[in-house]
Amino acid sequence: MNHQFLLALLCEEIPANALPSARRQLEEGFAKRLEEAGFSGCIVRAYSTVRRLVVHVQGLPAGQPDRTEEITGPPARAAFTPDGSPTAAAVGFARGQGVSVDELRIVKGPKGDMVAVTRLVQGRTAPEILAEITAEVVGSLHFPKTMRWGSGEHTFVRPLHNLLALFGAETMETVVPLELLGLTSRGSTAGHRVVAPGRIEMRGITGFADYAARLEAAGVVVDHEVRRARLLARAEELAAEVGCTVRPDPALLDELVELVEHPGLVRGKIASRFLELPEEVLVTTLRHHQKSLVLEKNGRVAGYFLAVADRPDDPQGHVARGCSWVAGARLADASFFYAQDRKDSLASRVPALAGVTFHRNWGSYLDKTGKVRHLAGQLARSAELDVDLAHLDRAAELAKADLVTAMVGEFAELQGVMGGIYALADNEPEDVWMAIADQYRPAGLEGPVPRTLTGALLGVADRLDTLAALYASEKPSGSKDPFALRRAALAVVKICAEFPLPVDLVRACRDAAANRAAAGGDAIEEFVQDRLRHYLTSVVGVRPDVADAVLAAHWGVVPDDVARARALEAVRQDEVFDALAIAFKRVRNILTKGAPGTLDESLLTVPAERELLSAVATAEARVGESLGEADHEAALHALAALAAPLDRFFTDVMVLCEDPALRQARLGLLARIERLFLRLADVSRLAAEAR
Amino acid sequence: MLDSVPIGVFHAGEVSAVDLQDLILSLSRFWSDQGCIIQQPYDLEVGAGTMHPETFLRVLGPEPYNVAFVQPSRRPADARFGENPFRLGKHLQMQVILKPSPHEVQDLYLKSLTAMGIDPSTHDVRFEEDNWESPTLGAWGVGWQVLLDGMEITQFTYFQQAGGIDLQPIAAELTYGLERIAMFLQREDSIYDITWGGGVDYGKVRHRDEVELSRYAFHVADVEMLRRHFGDWEREAARCLEQEEPLVIPGLEAALKMSHLFNLMDARGAVAVTERVALIGRVRKLAVRCARAYVEQRERLGFPLLARQGGQA
Repeated sequence: MNHQFLLALLCEEIPANALPSARRQLEEGFAKRLEEAGFSGCIVRAYSTVRRLVVHVQGLPAGQPDRTEEITGPPARAAFTPDGSPTAAAVGFARGQGVSVDELRIVKGPKGDMVAVTRLVQGRTAPEILAEITAEVVGSLHFPKTMRWGSGEHTFVRPLHNLLALFGAETMETVVPLELLGLTSRGSTAGHRVVAPGRIEMRGITGFADYAARLEAAGVVVDHEVRRARLLARAEELAAEVGCTVRPDPALLDELVELVEHPGLVRGKIASRFLELPEEVLVTTLRHHQKSLVLEKNGRVAGYFLAVADRPDDPQGHVARGCSWVAGARLADASFFYAQDRKDSLASRVPALAGVTFHRNWGSYLDKTGKVRHLAGQLARSAELDVDLAHLDRAAELAKADLVTAMVGEFAELQGVMGGIYALADNEPEDVWMAIADQYRPAGLEGPVPRTLTGALLGVADRLDTLAALYASEKPSGSKDPFALRRAALAVVKICAEFPLPVDLVRACRDAAANRAAAGGDAIEEFVQDRLRHYLTSVVGVRPDVADAVLAAHWGVVPDDVARARALEAVRQDEVFDALAIAFKRVRNILTKGAPGTLDESLLTVPAERELLSAVATAEARVGESLGEADHEAALHALAALAAPLDRFFTDVMVLCEDPALRQARLGLLARIERLFLRLADVSRLAAEAR
Repeated sequence: MLDSVPIGVFHAGEVSAVDLQDLILSLSRFWSDQGCIIQQPYDLEVGAGTMHPETFLRVLGPEPYNVAFVQPSRRPADARFGENPFRLGKHLQMQVILKPSPHEVQDLYLKSLTAMGIDPSTHDVRFEEDNWESPTLGAWGVGWQVLLDGMEITQFTYFQQAGGIDLQPIAAELTYGLERIAMFLQREDSIYDITWGGGVDYGKVRHRDEVELSRYAFHVADVEMLRRHFGDWEREAARCLEQEEPLVIPGLEAALKMSHLFNLMDARGAVAVTERVALIGRVRKLAVRCARAYVEQRERLGFPLLARQGGQA
């Protein structure tokens, strides 16, 4: 089990977004197929650079063990005459198996005695099996986009230029014979395209570390984790040289790691006149066009950036000068846009939104602006929130105006941010420009919610309007969600939960649908409720049955929905809730069978029902009190006190009795209990759990 | 060689080692040495070198073909009245088509940089994913933008489909942005300051027509006339293709005129968002018919260029 295998595909530059998944698929594919071939316990690791896909397998045997195999032939009585001499059948079978008649044996089979022969089957060698596995795994790799080249016979992520496949124990001497994408495997590879393009002999390497060291000497750092660590260290070094720190940007760093064979960085300079640009513009320009890390000093963007370079050095300073020049050109472009945009106020651009289509069925962004203004005001008024309605209306009026600025035309990701910057420059009130700037927050499950109440209301109104307009015709299905409606609904939930914003989303969904005169208001409610369920299970971290129990009772005021879910999750481990779930299920079942009447307490005379009546009154008082103090756990415990009286009630009392008045009174009592429970949760939905 | 000269010594107007015409001449010489036919620009308004029949048609079918040419490319909506230092309504592309794409095409490309005076061993050259698509031509490809020290200097594409037809063999298309490269090599901050040749700068040669073309595209062009001609050329293209022996080149030329008319209407702000896809679709439909007619025509002719397969590139 001390053998190892190294496979390395050298390609033309592979897209950065294909690499992490390719590594995962290689590791999983090899592990799975090695296991199937009977090689268990192997360690499989995948590595990559922008031009290489590499797999290293340790813990392999030299091959499969030899094994014996019994092959049965004709029945014994057909193979041998009674005196024991072989018939033609026996001779034929022996010849077919390549043995002499003497070697045939008689074995007991289900249909009587049979002739059989035991043969030694040689196990296949590991290289043979590895060649097969490699063809299968590489052939089934899935990439975001594949291509053909040259004669057009082969399809892969990029053209393949070298196929290194080595096998061995302490040293890897055997070239595993392979044909892949028109190339034959060999024992050598090539170094970095520019730094050391010559061939590198790899036969005789002692393992992955040796392979990596030989590549390193040729300008290639093959382990992506090593490249990441070196990029970070080098970034900090280059920043420290000019008294700065690196502004953390993990997503960009992830991408830079995949863009190169050698983790080089150069420091570029930003001309001081560009430092007057809004920071967001500066950073987006450098990040978007140049994939550059930004340096900062005292929390502010400093006059430097770091750009990735696929080489260890910059011998004549060309790279740093080139990157600085390009950054300068891009920033000059951005300054030009900024100056153009500042010639007119944001407010003066609003009418031009008539020319920007929101959706083919739902008019322009000017139409949308009107709808959002109306809906935002409705939301604020119906929830009686302490917000400046004039500010909210102004923010909604200006919210989309940056879509017709040159800057957002160039950098779509700056929408909202630019609106905020231009509104501030136009001397709009802080409450207004901040709301505009924050309207697209949060971008997903991560990321902060708007900073102000005005911003939170604007963000919710804008997205509910989008849902109301588009849900019917652009319903997300599977991986298709071109208008990002799932993200919009989830953002609504997240803002309400985390700001927190106590608006009633059920009512808000209806208002939004009415505002657009759109059909399918119920479907939107259901869609938003689905996102809320997802939020409760994945962010709040409650179990699915808890989320169901809470939402089935009532939903809409998200901070309350979250509080109830947290409380139920906390108390549900208590055994009494199992009994309570069963009892409440009975309550609800019976209530479906008869219409409850008014509760005439004087008719209730059986001790068990008197007891339940008084327990309900106590529970109602305690639930009311606890909810007043926002102590949802205490309220749930108050419900739990009904478990025992309910149990006795169902044992001693026949609810659906003959006397109609009595039946109505008993049903009335149960209806009162149902109402009480549903203030908190439909506990009948809690899954009975094996403890 | 540029690399032996410290950067920063050039000033506007000074004749540098790599002026625009040197660039064109050295790239033409280089690709000629690689066995390319050096073609001339197409004599119609086109948005990109890809629309030149030497690209759009030659990449179709089984015949090998290697060609290079400069193509002035018009993008009326990118015009900026000669005021923006980086944007032009008409710019120059050097386009190279290598069909089938040779195994060492990236190395050939790097050698072409050396021919321009850029020694890759002292620069950072990276190939970053950038796929290309032309809805007008029913064409798409996979490839990269080539970054030289952070500057995008070339679009490098393996054509996968053109005129809606899956290609086999596959052609590599290299498109050098000539003004960009000249700006970069001369370290100029404005396109208009680069040296064209003979001590004359780009602005003196071209600034005035940028101003006029911008005014025409944004303010003057007669939208009704453009729209009418769009329909006229659409009918004309169809007529060409409906001949008993379809007229492929006249048909394609009519489709290219439609494409330019569309670009003018678009710059003029006369194309509604809803109408856009439909107009592009009308051009594509004809481009697709031209592509099919071309392949049939070549087949009838017995694919004459197959005989010289295995050209020098």
